[in-house]
Amino acid sequence: MTHSNDAPSARNIALASAAAFIVAVMAVVTVVLPAEYGIDPLGTGGALGLLGLSRVQPIGPEDAAYNTDALELELAPTEWAELTYRLEEGSGMLFSWEATGAVSFNFHSAPDGAPPGYAESFDAEEVDQANGSYTAPFTGIHGWYWENRGSDYVTIRMSTAGFYSEAHEARDRVDGFRPLRNARGEPLERPDE
Amino acid sequence: MCKCWHVLLAAGLILLATVLVPALQAHPMDEQNAAFVQAVEGVAIFPFMYLGAKHMVTGYDHLLFLVGVIFFLYRLKDVVLYVSLFTLGHSVTLLVGVLGNIGANAYVVDAIIGLSVAYKAFDNMGGFERLLQVRPNPKAAVLVFGLFHGFGLATKVQEFTLSETGLIANMLSFNVGVEIGQILALTMVLIGFGYWRGRSSFQRHAFATNAALMTAGFILAGNQMLGYVFYS
Repeated sequence: MTHSNDAPSARNIALASAAAFIVAVMAVVTVVLPAEYGIDPLGTGGALGLLGLSRVQPIGPEDAAYNTDALELELAPTEWAELTYRLEEGSGMLFSWEATGAVSFNFHSAPDGAPPGYAESFDAEEVDQANGSYTAPFTGIHGWYWENRGSDYVTIRMSTAGFYSEAHEARDRVDGFRPLRNARGEPLERPDE
Repeated sequence: MCKCWHVLLAAGLILLATVLVPALQAHPMDEQNAAFVQAVEGVAIFPFMYLGAKHMVTGYDHLLFLVGVIFFLYRLKDVVLYVSLFTLGHSVTLLVGVLGNIGANAYVVDAIIGLSVAYKAFDNMGGFERLLQVRPNPKAAVLVFGLFHGFGLATKVQEFTLSETGLIANMLSFNVGVEIGQILALTMVLIGFGYWRGRSSFQRHAFATNAALMTAGFILAGNQMLGYVFYS
């Protein structure tokens, strides 16, 4: 098969194959086992400084201040609200929210310096609750947007904890951004008003 | 004359590479990729195509196997024939594995893929002809190992896919991507071999190179076997 004049002898093939196997076993035991699995039977992993490679670092210290917030938002039909948090790249927060009815929501982020209106959307669904953790992929404003597309009032309860420096609430009625009107153009009333 | 020092030199290089590559996973579990594709509901043709191509180009177990297969294939006709057999093999099991939802253990499959590298290197060294006196049909061997590689690919697609929606389209996209990646990888390997074969060093070092290839195959297989023991 080698098309060579001095084709390897059976003895050399056997020797080379045995050597390949032994070297592989040695490499696996001395290097792979400590580096990948943290097991160091011969102490070679420690000597070569490989043991740290397989160790998962479970704690990531944060410099920013720790904040917790819990708030309630009531959304009239067609009304929207937004809660945004300022996070540094790599900083994390936990969140949990639930609504009394299905709302359309999305999670979006805008990096600092992005043109107005630019946002990256990570999640968009029609659900009534969500919880999880979020690690900011870049420094900027990160937040939730809810819109009540139903015909009933919906209350959203949101609690957050994390290393955000600012928390903002924005909604159409508070900002006067989009006064709510019914189909006839009359102002929409809320039950508690 | 003993060529052992060649083997040792080559094995030493392999050992060095092992130390330099901090994570010896043949296919680093692409967590962001997986998270992204899993977040996509339904058909995602280009992402899956990209993932297939990436899996092939960055998966050095597949690459080493291809190197072993074409090592002594001098004519383009033979290269095309063997690579087609390999493609046929892995496409069949990718299809069957994903459609039949056959979940092969990724570590076992990857260990066999590692052993396929060692097998082909042993074959290239003339081991079957001269040492064992029996040489299994190399075309059949490539086909059979293609089948195993395909199970590895199927496991990968299943890893990336959560929803049944668009499964077939996504799988076919992944397969097309795999073939694109294979052509890319093959082109690079063939360019390298075209250059090397023109030199006298090819004949001198072919044996030692295959011994090194064999070592690499055993290391890949060993790592996957450990993965099976510790993580499965």
